Amino acid sequence: MKLIKIKIINFGQFSNFTFDLADKNLNVFFGANEAGKSTVVAFIKQILFGFHLGKRTSDFFEDYKPLARVSPMGGSLFFTAENGQQFEVERLYASGKGSKLGTLTVKCDGQVVPESVFFDQIKNIDGDFYTASFIFNQDMLAKVIDISQTDLLERIYYLGAANSDQLIDLRDKFAKAADKLFKNRGSLPPVNKLLTKMQEQRAQLDETEGEFTDYQTLESSALEQKNLQKNSETELHNLQGELNQIEQLRKQLPNYQKLLELKQQLKEVKFDPAQYQLAQKLAVQQQNLQQTIAGLRKRLTQFTDIAENARAAKLVQKKPELLQWKAEYSSCVQKAQQITQAEQQLLALTPDLQQIIGLNQEAIIKLQQDYQALSSKQPIVQSDNSNNRIWLVAAGILPLIGVILLVTGPRIVGGLLLIFGIIGACWAVKQQKLQENRQAAVRAKQAKVKQMQTAFGQKYHLNPETLDLPNLLNQWRQYQLQKQNEQANREQLANLQEQVDQLAHELSMVLNHNVPTDFAGVIAALDSLAEQEKQKQHQEETKATVESSLAENNAELQQVNLKLKAVLAEAGVKTLADYGQLQIVKQQQETIKTQIAALTANLQDDLPQLAQFLQDEPKVQAKETALRQKIAAVEEQNHTLQGQVAETNVKMAHLASSTAVFTAKQELANTQTLFRNQSAEYLANLFASKWISRALDLASNERFPKMLTDAKEYLRLLTNNRYNNIKIDKKLSVTRADGKTIKVKYLSRGTQEQLYFALKLAFVQQVKEQINLPILIDDSFVNFDDQRTGQIEQLLKQIAQTTQVLIFTAQKKLVEQLKLQPLTFTKGTENV
Amino acid sequence: MKFIHFADAHLDSPFLGLSFLPSKRFSQIQQAPNQSLSKIVDLALAEQVDLVLIAGDTFDSSRPNPGSQLFLADQIKRLTDAQIQVVMIFGNHDHMWAADLLVPDSPYFKLLGDGEQVETVSCQTRSGFDYDVSGFSYLNNHITSDLVPNFPAKTVHYTFGMMHAQERAGQVSQNVYAPFNLSELKSLNYDYFALGHIHLRQILSETPLIVYPGNIQGRHINELGVKGCYLGIINEQTKKTQIKFMPTSPIVWAKATLTLTAEITPNDLRMHVLASLKPESTTYYSLQIIGAEYLNDQERELVQDTNYWQGISRELAFESQLVDVRFTTNSRLEIAANDQAYFTQAAEELFDPETFAKLGQDWIKKDELAAILAQDPQFLQEVKELAAVKLNNNLKGINDETD
Repeated sequence: MKLIKIKIINFGQFSNFTFDLADKNLNVFFGANEAGKSTVVAFIKQILFGFHLGKRTSDFFEDYKPLARVSPMGGSLFFTAENGQQFEVERLYASGKGSKLGTLTVKCDGQVVPESVFFDQIKNIDGDFYTASFIFNQDMLAKVIDISQTDLLERIYYLGAANSDQLIDLRDKFAKAADKLFKNRGSLPPVNKLLTKMQEQRAQLDETEGEFTDYQTLESSALEQKNLQKNSETELHNLQGELNQIEQLRKQLPNYQKLLELKQQLKEVKFDPAQYQLAQKLAVQQQNLQQTIAGLRKRLTQFTDIAENARAAKLVQKKPELLQWKAEYSSCVQKAQQITQAEQQLLALTPDLQQIIGLNQEAIIKLQQDYQALSSKQPIVQSDNSNNRIWLVAAGILPLIGVILLVTGPRIVGGLLLIFGIIGACWAVKQQKLQENRQAAVRAKQAKVKQMQTAFGQKYHLNPETLDLPNLLNQWRQYQLQKQNEQANREQLANLQEQVDQLAHELSMVLNHNVPTDFAGVIAALDSLAEQEKQKQHQEETKATVESSLAENNAELQQVNLKLKAVLAEAGVKTLADYGQLQIVKQQQETIKTQIAALTANLQDDLPQLAQFLQDEPKVQAKETALRQKIAAVEEQNHTLQGQVAETNVKMAHLASSTAVFTAKQELANTQTLFRNQSAEYLANLFASKWISRALDLASNERFPKMLTDAKEYLRLLTNNRYNNIKIDKKLSVTRADGKTIKVKYLSRGTQEQLYFALKLAFVQQVKEQINLPILIDDSFVNFDDQRTGQIEQLLKQIAQTTQVLIFTAQKKLVEQLKLQPLTFTKGTENV
Repeated sequence: MKFIHFADAHLDSPFLGLSFLPSKRFSQIQQAPNQSLSKIVDLALAEQVDLVLIAGDTFDSSRPNPGSQLFLADQIKRLTDAQIQVVMIFGNHDHMWAADLLVPDSPYFKLLGDGEQVETVSCQTRSGFDYDVSGFSYLNNHITSDLVPNFPAKTVHYTFGMMHAQERAGQVSQNVYAPFNLSELKSLNYDYFALGHIHLRQILSETPLIVYPGNIQGRHINELGVKGCYLGIINEQTKKTQIKFMPTSPIVWAKATLTLTAEITPNDLRMHVLASLKPESTTYYSLQIIGAEYLNDQERELVQDTNYWQGISRELAFESQLVDVRFTTNSRLEIAANDQAYFTQAAEELFDPETFAKLGQDWIKKDELAAILAQDPQFLQEVKELAAVKLNNNLKGINDETD
């Protein structure tokens, strides 16, 4: 959109004033101060965007009011569009009529068209946009210090995304929110606070984690303390031992002293206990013997003299004899009876005996002879021949068997048997004949005997036939024997009686009283006498024994006395009592010895020390005191060490159960979590803001970055390489060739203006495709020196190739430099 | 032979984003890593394993508090008393000297590779099976060089490798945890390589086995899922190893999502939130509300209020907790169609890590944590989503006016 003509009806000092720009991209309006340069700038701006009649503020002076005498206010601007269309933009204002912005009429190629036909082509920017972007004047330059990215962006994005202004607001809102959460150099925003807190807590944790080394230190010091304590205890033990030794010695001292005392009491005593025992035994023996002797003597006096009576003794000895007699007597009496009985029996048994009792021996012999004579004629027929007969039979049988055998059996046996049979038969026949001869002699004799027998009966009154003379004689002899026995018995009885009488007589003599002559009486007397005799004898025996005993005892006593004397002499004492005394002494010495032995055994090892102790008691005392002091000191030290160990243990236990590290860590972790969350919040805001920015950049075809690149290039050009970088954050800053970044406010006025130009021109360069409006440079180089002016001239020429530039200046030199025909403000000049 | 491999116990480490929890609940989770470790030891005893490998970052700090030290010492003593061999290395968090440990001396305990020197220890199981363990411990918080070449060649014994390290990737500045290349680690051909450092459980290689067991207890919403240890069973004849993950963490972190497609009443919102949280054990939830632009400012404020979370949590089983709510938009920016492309492009440019770092530099330079966060893609994403939510919410107004 190229401005080709400015037609002012009424504006400021101008009325009906026209500038023809002749389709040139670079125009210079030359005029002195107050010539109306700024008025023309304001005119162009206000025709496009409305009069400045309200209470609106503006970035530069443009308060041009309608003059009362001339009407209407305003005029027209004539443009040629890129597509060749011709626009006339007319704005008029009559006081009190219509909008204070004025009434706008747009004509395209001579036809009135809706204003949007024109304004759409400049993207419907507003007056502020145009001012900020396309107008360069002293007022604006002064504001370079305050230029912020926002200002630039807002305008540049205006051309990109839909709702870019709202997006920018949103972006700023996020940025602001981010800024509230964190500031690079702040301390109050939450994230900054958390940063500080984290650092503090880290330090706290670091300190707390000292527990680790503290524990290690404690552990090693505990070990050390325990060793010290152990050493100290050992020392204490040793000291206590020494002290105990001294105390022990002190305790033993009385014993030791007693030992010494006892040793002094010790002496040699010769004493043989066996000998003493012997002496004692002998003394007892002596005493016993003396007593015995005395007793014996006393007994002896008790014995009376006993008369010797040999007759009595003899008599007494007769007792067995007497008893013999008695027995014999009884026997004789008995015998007499027996004899009588036997005689009667004999008589009873053999009645014939009565006939011959009175016969004497000779008569009997006669009888016997008589009888014998009688009995010798009497035959005796007693023989028997039966034997012979048997033999005859046998003799007959044997030959028969012999014949049989000869015929049937062995002929030898049969022959023999036959022979023996014949011999036997011969012998038996001879015997039979002898027998018969003898019997005939006997019968002759028997008749003679008969005669003799009758004679015999008459003489002796005995029947010889029946008489058994031998028996009778035998009986007779027996009877005679009885008679003789009877006689002898009678004699013996008498004899016995006589002897008894004699004995009784003698007894009477001895006993001095009459003794009956019967056996009982004599025996009684004899017993009495024997008793007397026995008693007498016993007494005598006893006396003899006593006497003998006395003699023995006396002898023994003598011996004992001698022995005792010898023993006492050997012991060197006179009496047994002395000997006893000696024994007591000996016993005392033994006791002493035992005590010494016991004490010595007890004290044994301590003896040298005890001797020493006794010798150096003060020294020992001093040592003891020193020991006690040292023990007290070591105990104190030990106590202290124990305390330390306990303290260390407590500390260790405390550390072991301490949650301080965890707490510190957890607190830090909590803070870190907060920091993380707050940071996320901050970053989310920051990045939401950046996100929008970047999206806008992209949407605006990255105009902003490009603009910045251009601006840097322009600045470099304008400052002749002294400044090569521009930073646009919240505030502007530039970087000098030496790398130093300088804030705008510290730049020289000239440099500030150069920066301003650079930025603004760069911007216009970026938007020119979208908004191609003329750049209005109003007296902007007053602060430029010649060199700078030269540089800007180059730049302007460069820019003017694509963008229309209108320069309003009072500097003749600049006009000359640009080598252009300037437009002037004198009415009726060639401008019109 | 049986063994257990775990890492990154981070005893005594703090929990992020839970400061609002009632103290009882908080101390419960505070105890969780210790409980998890105790459970691992219980498991080792019950399984009568021969070896326990602890692959670094047992403590959260190089100066762990004495309580944690003593706790670990107790747990290790339980193992060594049972004659279970324990081999431990230090990681980038607990970079220390072996002498700094309070674990009592035992022939069954070995701190491997003290002072960042690769070290090999040869052991034998109770049944007489020989094995070697090679590895190193951190002394400084960073190890910039690759230490894999320092590992010895595999011997005839079953060979374990142990390393607290991160695979080489991305910017040089990030490769500060003994960076390694998987291929070189594979070419060592150890029977089992026990790694630590990455809190996400993962098996980098099956043959040979190269394993990150993950940490033993999630501590924040970025450490999701069940945590625990690996139980390995080695066939002593074939030397083939079977590994099985054994969960031990008492608390599980989980993400839940709720998608809104239209505006919603607060009551319905509450019902929807509850319906989206279905714990099967003690679970700490981060809820992502997709379509957050359907919530107005007050509603958004409400669902991000910890009291609101507590109210929800009271109705959850297993004492589970809602501890985090995040918003995302479920649609493109509400912006004029013409400008959509500009915004998309702008986002691509701005949220590029380098641009992000450049634009956020004032903030990043302020603090180490900020620097770390600036490199955390998750954080970037979070910021981006938050920015989008904010933007969308505001753009809605603009467009409404425009429409």
